[in-house]
Formats: sequence, structure tokens, C-alpha cells
Amino acid sequence: MSIQEIGRSGKSGKEQIHEYPGRKRKAHSEQFRESLMQNLKYKGQPQERDGGEKAGKETQAIGIDGRDKNGTEALRAGQDCVEMTGAYKIEDTARAGRLSAPGIRVNTAARREAVRAAEVRHMSYEESDNIEIAVTEGYTLKGKLEGSHVYVEAKYDDGRMEAYQVETGWVPAKTQQRIEQFAVETAKQIMKPLSDKGACSPGD
Amino acid sequence: MEQEFAREQRWNNLAAEYQAMLYRVAFANMHNRADAEDVVQEAFLRYMKDEKPIVSREHEKAWLIRTTIHICMDILKSSWHRRTVPLTDSLAQSKEVYLPYQLKDDKALEAVLKLPVHYRNPLYLFYYEDYSIQEIAGVLNEKEGTIKTRLRRGREEVRKILTERSLGDL
Repeated sequence: MSIQEIGRSGKSGKEQIHEYPGRKRKAHSEQFRESLMQNLKYKGQPQERDGGEKAGKETQAIGIDGRDKNGTEALRAGQDCVEMTGAYKIEDTARAGRLSAPGIRVNTAARREAVRAAEVRHMSYEESDNIEIAVTEGYTLKGKLEGSHVYVEAKYDDGRMEAYQVETGWVPAKTQQRIEQFAVETAKQIMKPLSDKGACSPGD
Repeated sequence: MEQEFAREQRWNNLAAEYQAMLYRVAFANMHNRADAEDVVQEAFLRYMKDEKPIVSREHEKAWLIRTTIHICMDILKSSWHRRTVPLTDSLAQSKEVYLPYQLKDDKALEAVLKLPVHYRNPLYLFYYEDYSIQEIAGVLNEKEGTIKTRLRRGREEVRKILTERSLGDL
């Protein structure tokens, strides 16, 4: 009786067994197993997507620092990037003093500015090697090549006058700054007749 | 005799130094080679007759430019000039005797020369003769603020002229 009772109670206990926390834990583990199986089933697809992203990243890395990480196809794509943009990006990054690629370390303390402020000398047009008159923008620029740098004097129609010394060797190739562009133009204008005459040819 | 020789020498030096610059200023106003040459001669004659005590070279230069502009204005205002049609020289025709430096953009200069006189002279002196605002104010007997305003408004006028021209070309 007591056994039956126990058994009955056990039966009834079995019916109510799902209410126990242990049973809940079992159900949870089953759900986990199902989700794991689903994950394993669709594992291939996300892996491919991740792989694509990774390849893209590595192509970018090759484009900037020229390293091969992902086989020949990535290398080919990377080589194109190196040819087109690699050198300039490194130079530009160095100038801005930032670290844009993991392979390049830039010492920001050693960074040099291409343009430095200078004292206004009131240079005349006759003394200048290059002149730019921008009436619609309201300024004039005068440039003179002095050794390795170009002296640039700017005059604005609000009365301001500014002078700069521009190290043309430090000016990035695709600079957007008008002063830097003008300094490079001035240097080229002076150097062109010299190179045409062959004064600096390596054979000399 | 020696004094006369010295005076002649001085005038020759003066003409050699300022002739080209005064001619450019006169041409900017007259738009005509013959009239510009007449104006420059008249300016030198007035200077010689005047025999003013010259304080400095800057003063001398400013006096000559101011006199040149005044002579131009007198001629342009004269009834004779208003009744006649000048044979205007284009900038391209007179280039060999024009600016002593190479210009990248002639269109802006042509637009400046088309401006009314109160914008034309400040803009011409500021951009093409490299005068400062202070110097232009001294030459034209105006306040610096007035010159700044004329430079700004003149620039807007030049922009309008160039825009209209570019639209016309299309």
C-alpha cells in the first residue's frame, strides 16, 4: 500500500516532473542541442561570407603595405592597388601623422610640415618667379624659388598679407592646398628650362 | 648750363622709371594706345612745370599716378571725347607693350578694364600693379575702408561679367 501509494505518488510525481527545475534544465539543453544542430547545418554559408570579408580586408592590406596573406588572386588584386595608390597613401599617412594600416608605423614626432609661415618682404612682381592673380577669388600670389624651398607671398583684398616658406619636396603629389600647389608650380617652372638644357642630366 | 643738364638727366631718369607703369595705368582707363601715350606725356609735363618739392620716391610715384588718372578722367568727361568713337585697342593687340609679366588669364583683366572707373582703378592698381590698399588710398585720395569696399564690390562685378561671358559662349 505504501509502495503503491509511493508508486502512485511516483506516477503522479512523473506527471508533474516537468515542473521540477531539473526537467527544465533538460529541456533547455535539448533546445540548445537543436540550435547547435541548426547552426552546424547552416555553418557553411556564414563561413563563406566571413571568408569573403576576410579576403577583402587582406586585399586592402596588400593594397597599402604590399603583403600577401590570401593566395595568388588576392595578391593580384593587391598588386593593382599598390600600383595605383600604395605609395601615395603611405606618404599621405606619414604627413598626417596617423596610422592607417597595421603594417605602417609613423613617428608623429618626426613629421615635417611642408608649409611654414615667414616674414612678409613685400616682394615686387618683377622679383617674383611666378605670379597668380585671382581677381574673382580676391587674392594674388607671388612665388620665388630660393634653394630647396619656395617663398610665397599672398595678398588678399581685405588688406591681409601673408608669407610662407614651402618645402616643395614635402608637398604631397595630390595636395588640395593652393599655396602648396602654387609653390610646386613655381619650382617646376624654374626647373623646367634647366632640365630642357640638360644642366642636371645624369651623364654630366 | 650744368644745372640744366642735371635737370634734363633727372627727367630722363624719371621717364625711364615710371613711363611704362604710367602708360599701363593710362591704357587701363583710355583703352587706346594713342590716348594713353598723350596722357603720359601730359602727366610728365605737369610734373616738370609744377616743380613740387618731393618728399620721397613713394610720394613722387603716387603723385604721378594720381595726375595720370585725373588727366584720363578729364579727357573721358570732355564733350569732345563723348562725341567721338575711339578706335579701341584690344588687349591682345597691345600685349607687347602691356604688362611686364606673363598673365595666365587675360579674361579677368579684360573684365576689370570694363568696370566703371571707381572700381576699375582700385582693382587694376591692387591686382595688376601690386599696390597695397594703403597706397591706393593715398593715390586716389580715399579712405582705406572705401578702397576695401570697392575691391570687394568690383570683384563681384568681375565675376558677373565673366559668368555672363561664359554663358554667352555656351
